[in-house]
Amino acid sequence: MTNEGIPTRNVLLAGVGGHGVLALSRIVAEGALAAGFDVRKSEIHGMSQRGGSVVSEVRYGEDVRSPLIPEAAADVFVSLELLEALRHLHRLRPGGLLLVNDQRITPAPTGSGPVDYPEDAVERLREAAQGARILPAHDIAVELGEPRATNMVMLGAFAAFTPEIAATVWTQMIETTFRPTLRAVNLAAFQRGLEIAAEA
Amino acid sequence: MPNRILLSGNEAIAEGALEAGAHFACAYPGTPSTEILETLSRRGGIRSEWAPNEKVAYEAAYGASLGGARALVSMKHVGVNVAADPLFSSSYAGVNGGLVLVSADDPAMHSSQNEQDNRQLARAAKIPVLEPSDSQEAKDFTLRAFGISERFDTPVMLRVTTRICHSMSPVETERDRSWPKAPLRDYERNFHKHVLLPANARPRHAFVERRMEELEEFATGERDLNRIEWGDRTVGVITGGVAYQYVREAMPDASILKLGMPHPLPRDLVREFADGVDEIYVVEELDPFIEMQVRALGIPAIGKELFPLTGELNPDLVELGFRLSGNGLPSRDNQLDIGGTAPSLPMRPPVLCAGCGHRGVFYTLSKLGLIVTGDIGCYTLGALRPLESMDACLCMGASIGMAHGMEVALRAGGDGRRVVGVIGDSTFMHSGITGLINTVYNGGSSTVLVLDNGTTAMTGHQDHPGTGVTASGAPGGRVDITALCRAIGIRRVRDVDPYDLEALESALAEELSADEPSVIICRAACRLVDRTPIAPSVHLEIECPGCGTCFELGCPAIDERDGMAVIDPDVCCGCGLCVQVCPFCGLRIEGYDTAGAV
Repeated sequence: MTNEGIPTRNVLLAGVGGHGVLALSRIVAEGALAAGFDVRKSEIHGMSQRGGSVVSEVRYGEDVRSPLIPEAAADVFVSLELLEALRHLHRLRPGGLLLVNDQRITPAPTGSGPVDYPEDAVERLREAAQGARILPAHDIAVELGEPRATNMVMLGAFAAFTPEIAATVWTQMIETTFRPTLRAVNLAAFQRGLEIAAEA
Repeated sequence: MPNRILLSGNEAIAEGALEAGAHFACAYPGTPSTEILETLSRRGGIRSEWAPNEKVAYEAAYGASLGGARALVSMKHVGVNVAADPLFSSSYAGVNGGLVLVSADDPAMHSSQNEQDNRQLARAAKIPVLEPSDSQEAKDFTLRAFGISERFDTPVMLRVTTRICHSMSPVETERDRSWPKAPLRDYERNFHKHVLLPANARPRHAFVERRMEELEEFATGERDLNRIEWGDRTVGVITGGVAYQYVREAMPDASILKLGMPHPLPRDLVREFADGVDEIYVVEELDPFIEMQVRALGIPAIGKELFPLTGELNPDLVELGFRLSGNGLPSRDNQLDIGGTAPSLPMRPPVLCAGCGHRGVFYTLSKLGLIVTGDIGCYTLGALRPLESMDACLCMGASIGMAHGMEVALRAGGDGRRVVGVIGDSTFMHSGITGLINTVYNGGSSTVLVLDNGTTAMTGHQDHPGTGVTASGAPGGRVDITALCRAIGIRRVRDVDPYDLEALESALAEELSADEPSVIICRAACRLVDRTPIAPSVHLEIECPGCGTCFELGCPAIDERDGMAVIDPDVCCGCGLCVQVCPFCGLRIEGYDTAGAV
């Protein structure tokens, strides 16, 4: 067993309902399984398509038990949106890796108090999480002609920091997940994510 | 050669039903149970049906069992309340083919109105309960449940929770994943067993009590269901379900009695375990179901003093409980510095989608200040700001009965306010129709709005009798809501375009002034199903004066920047509600007149 003795890796993923968090976390979990790890993944999908906050958690290692990541124990936190990154930042462990798509999606007005979108989100994230990678994943996906591929740009960025899972595992996952017409653009998005994560 | 695949608990239950050679599966959708039947209908090879409600689903599954087939019926926890009548009696009558009831409980109420613990219902119904703690067990226990059902002549409850249903973990299965059907058992008439006349039911009750004793003896011996994992003998933990996983992480060295079959409780096994350890803890979500029974044996178990009675458990709560007991791991007070007390962030609750046909209805109800009894579905979001147009929401189908009763009470007190019930199409089929029959029969005069979006939207777009498409996607019979309402005696039934605010308001005024019951049907396809734009997106014709009227719609396509409206053209689908409410006529859709149709 090649993965023996590797401590459990905790990956937290967050975003806004309908923007690809659950599809991304599924690929992360499948990739970890394909690489020979024990895997647990958990999320709440009741109203996930209706614009609410969505969080998914993936844990992999030699022997994983709880499907939920303990408080402040995420090794990696991937957020597809800036406000959602701030909202769940307390779950990242000190020294953990923060990967954020720099998009802002304003919540619909709820009338529950005049709280404005935090304009200083990027600064606050950088201050709290040393070495945070704040990436233009959405812009890249739009440039590639497929805004929905934002999550695959972020998968690429994640892959850049996940040497225990070979890049070919991820590209195979993309090929089996997407229908033929969407494969090329999602593979391109993944590749760009790999590249920019290294630069940022 | 075994094959390791990643499955959710729900997918694993479906896998188990296929491996058990089940012939029949049915359900009414409900989070977190929905994907069980969806998986079965997608995989094929098993007759899969959506029933109009859980009672009918259970009865159909029971009928299939009597007919000799292995049958699985799945529902969310509150659905078991709806199915309780046939469930309790079928416990007496017993089964023929194996019958498995999946109860998907929702501790923490992620998508539910209560967090009842259905192990209690199983105990009241006197049927055994299996409780898996990951996807592998979800599959294995489903398979076991069919066997136990047939061997002990009983329906079996497979009790799962959101963290089992919607978590994924590896499952070992056959590589080709296709299994033969279980042979159909012969059907023979059995008057004394299956016709629950009082004279037949009395001896059946005695049979049920004997059956529970035999099941307890069985549960003690089945170490794949109930097992002791000996470790450090100073601390013994009795647990099951997902809580077992949290205990394994929080107390890696403790001795554990893992109960995969918590009812009937294997008392001898509990005694054996208690004799082998210094202290007994019980870690279970929600009710002290195991704990009370352990205490009844005279064993001083510690449970709800340390582990919460409400909400779901998690690794941190379990760790904290053991730390408070003096036995746990040391605290990891190692947190990221996120800048002291983090300033409050804007909330992001789910909202009605841009262009949702329900929005105009709730806007109008709010404007008219009516008393509104609501129901279960996406449209419950109409109770939230800024629409805030719902007075009560209780359970599936309750809107119509509540509207009638409230109207009677208000009138008796001389209160002239009028009550309307609001219900979705799938919920109307589920249990709204009986409420409406009640209103007609008892001479009520309430007005009911049926918000017909042509699907069961909230649970992820399942078909129902009003759509005329079955679970397998094949054409089925279609129930016409208008004709149904007329047939039960409602004379005032009308369709109103929910995107036309003026028409909505005048229809409501007319129906409320009539002294007889009425039904207004508002048809608009769910925007998550039909994403084609209704009209070109809205644009601002003049500089927005910032009156804020359009914000009262709570539309996710309208953003507020410095008090002014900004329309997101990617989200807007041109429903035109904001054009109708804007008092300055500053919002425009190309080719769209002021108020009215496109």
